[in-house]
Amino acid sequence: MKIIMLGVNHRTAPVGLREQLTITGERMAAALTRLRAAHPASELVILSTCNRTEVYLARPAHEPPTAEQLTDFLSGYCGADRAALAASVILRENEQAVAHLFRVCAGLDSMVLGESQIVGQVKRAYEQAQNSETVGPVLHKVFQQAIAVSKEARSKTGIDTGRVSVGSVAVDFAQRIFERFDDKTVVGIGAGDMAKLTLRHLASLRPAKLWVTNRTPQRAQSLIERLKLPATSAGVRPFEALDELLVEADIVLTSTGSQKPIITAERFKPLLRKRRFRPLFIIDIAVPRDVDPRVGGLNNVYLYNIDDLQGVVAANVNQRSEQVRECEAILFEEVRSCYAEVQNRDVGRLIKALRQRLHDLGRLEHERTARKMSAAAPDEMPAILEEHTNRLINKILHLPLSQLDQSSPEAPLGFYAAALRRLFDLKEESRPGPPVDGEKVAPPVEPDTPPAPTTGTAATPERSRS
Amino acid sequence: MDNPLITAALVVLTLLSLAASGLALRRLFARSSGRIATRAEQLLITACSLGLLAVFLYRKIQMGPGWQPLEAHVDGLVLIGLLFGVVILFLQQRPRLGGLDAFGLPLLTVILAWSVCASAWTYRAFDLNTLHPVWMAVHLAGVYMGTLSSAVAAIAGGTFLYVQHRLRSKQNIADTGRLANLESLESLIIRTATIGFALLTLGLLAGLVIQTGGGAASRLGPGWWHSPKVLLAVLAWAVYAVVMNVRFGSAFRGARAAWLSIFGLVLLLATYGVVTALPNARDDARPTRAPSSETPR
Repeated sequence: MKIIMLGVNHRTAPVGLREQLTITGERMAAALTRLRAAHPASELVILSTCNRTEVYLARPAHEPPTAEQLTDFLSGYCGADRAALAASVILRENEQAVAHLFRVCAGLDSMVLGESQIVGQVKRAYEQAQNSETVGPVLHKVFQQAIAVSKEARSKTGIDTGRVSVGSVAVDFAQRIFERFDDKTVVGIGAGDMAKLTLRHLASLRPAKLWVTNRTPQRAQSLIERLKLPATSAGVRPFEALDELLVEADIVLTSTGSQKPIITAERFKPLLRKRRFRPLFIIDIAVPRDVDPRVGGLNNVYLYNIDDLQGVVAANVNQRSEQVRECEAILFEEVRSCYAEVQNRDVGRLIKALRQRLHDLGRLEHERTARKMSAAAPDEMPAILEEHTNRLINKILHLPLSQLDQSSPEAPLGFYAAALRRLFDLKEESRPGPPVDGEKVAPPVEPDTPPAPTTGTAATPERSRS
Repeated sequence: MDNPLITAALVVLTLLSLAASGLALRRLFARSSGRIATRAEQLLITACSLGLLAVFLYRKIQMGPGWQPLEAHVDGLVLIGLLFGVVILFLQQRPRLGGLDAFGLPLLTVILAWSVCASAWTYRAFDLNTLHPVWMAVHLAGVYMGTLSSAVAAIAGGTFLYVQHRLRSKQNIADTGRLANLESLESLIIRTATIGFALLTLGLLAGLVIQTGGGAASRLGPGWWHSPKVLLAVLAWAVYAVVMNVRFGSAFRGARAAWLSIFGLVLLLATYGVVTALPNARDDARPTRAPSSETPR
């Protein structure tokens, strides 16, 4: 099986393109189903977060989809510009694809180094694929091991300590803007998991008030309850009161699923005077963005979106290079072991299937020959046995030898030649060199052709040796 | 000035301040905590402040019992330099006001370099004996202390703009160590601008009394109220009147207050420049004494 990872992430694609490629909820199930329908032999998981959209795929080595087909699918399904996507897309294959997933899971590829939210996101992507029945034995193994190893790497290296989440980085920024927080108001817009995690960090600053607003008030109430804040300092406000909240707020966290900005410059400008030009710190971790970038250019407004935080993290990566090296070392061993195991299991399944197929062939021929022998005279027995042998050999060799005619850039003829030599221990006594144009090295043998002479025909194993 | 020793001492102190500025700026822009550099910087500022105190005391000893503080412009600059050095040392110890020294020390260097000029080339003694001594003392104290406060507001303004630039450029702020936060800096700007405003108001009122008091004719001539010195001083005063009110819902909050605080100091320095460069603009100076006649001083 070949393992492929194809996608974009915060390093390769701007937030605008990532917004287009975001696949969530029902669209995820539909995408998995559609891709699986087009390529039934493939195993699929799609990981789509605010920082990345990546397709993990395991398929038989020489079958579609190719990287181009996957790019076409993403472009078509998400309505993204094909050229822009092709320029930003990254492709990893086999062990590198496994290594990429392990790095993602361990937080080494995250915007905030070592952040643990990505593990939950990977788990959810894996579960969604399981629900859509697009995961097979290869991706089961790879994803389960990636999740398990990420926990081990975090605990051994401590890479998830310190500023490893959007929330803690946001707190750092808040402390550069404000001196004290006991007279400040924090407003959370949206009630998703990311909002909860970030608000938990902001709540640690002990603001005077923490309001949460959401289109669905019940979700906002549930978030407030999960934050376990006293009712005197936290509460839910209706989404319709957003303008009022923006006037009261000193820190705003937005993380909604809105497809369009909910805080535009036109909406916010009239509020500046009502706010008496107090500084406002806005953390927009939504993708697509909730806050119009022009709002960040207004006086005393400090706007940070998910990409802005990436720059901060890049510096943190340097500071924590030692932890990264330790983590990489752990992952390196685990990736090799995981990939080897996946390959071994794959070979095991292949051998089992091969045995089964050969037994089926043998049984059919056995029955045919037995019928012939029951009606044959004793002197016909040697001929029947020879025919039996030849038919069996031809049937076994028919499919593999017919594949030699269908070499592709991915599996050139030399690849098959080398495999044959290696698998059947064929000696190099008469190597003729590469085939010339138009020459067929090994024409396929029809399984039901009459028994061929043991020497001198193109279909015999001896010919294939050359 | 008649005493090359004082000029030499001021040159050395200027160089010390320059070295401390270099260390502070290096720490700021290299974004390293540099504990040794911090210690060295503190030593240099301390040495500079003590040196300025020594110069001030030396002036007293040199002049004898008749010496009055702020007898000449150089005395005022040395006093401001001394107090400013102490303020910078104090600010350095404040955990939430880091980075101010990097903006304050270059200003201290400018003040000291100016004092070298005021000592060596543009020395003018105030004609204190011909004026009402109390009002003159109030005027000079108000103006110099107001300038000191305004200088602190200006360095807070410079630091504010720097921190804001870092925040707006979305750079990593984890490596900025003890760099002050915007709220503290804005608060410092407003407080020091308010103190500066009060002291400058006192100084200007005293100057007004000196100009018009006792029915005497204006020392700046009949059109004194529109002389460069008076106009610049009033303009600077107006700027601080705006800055100290920004907290009350003004559109001048944040970066605008920071720029205004810097602009106010520039106006004050321009006023002193006018006073130094244009003898006719001064109401309180007597002509430069000939070296021989200045020797006792």
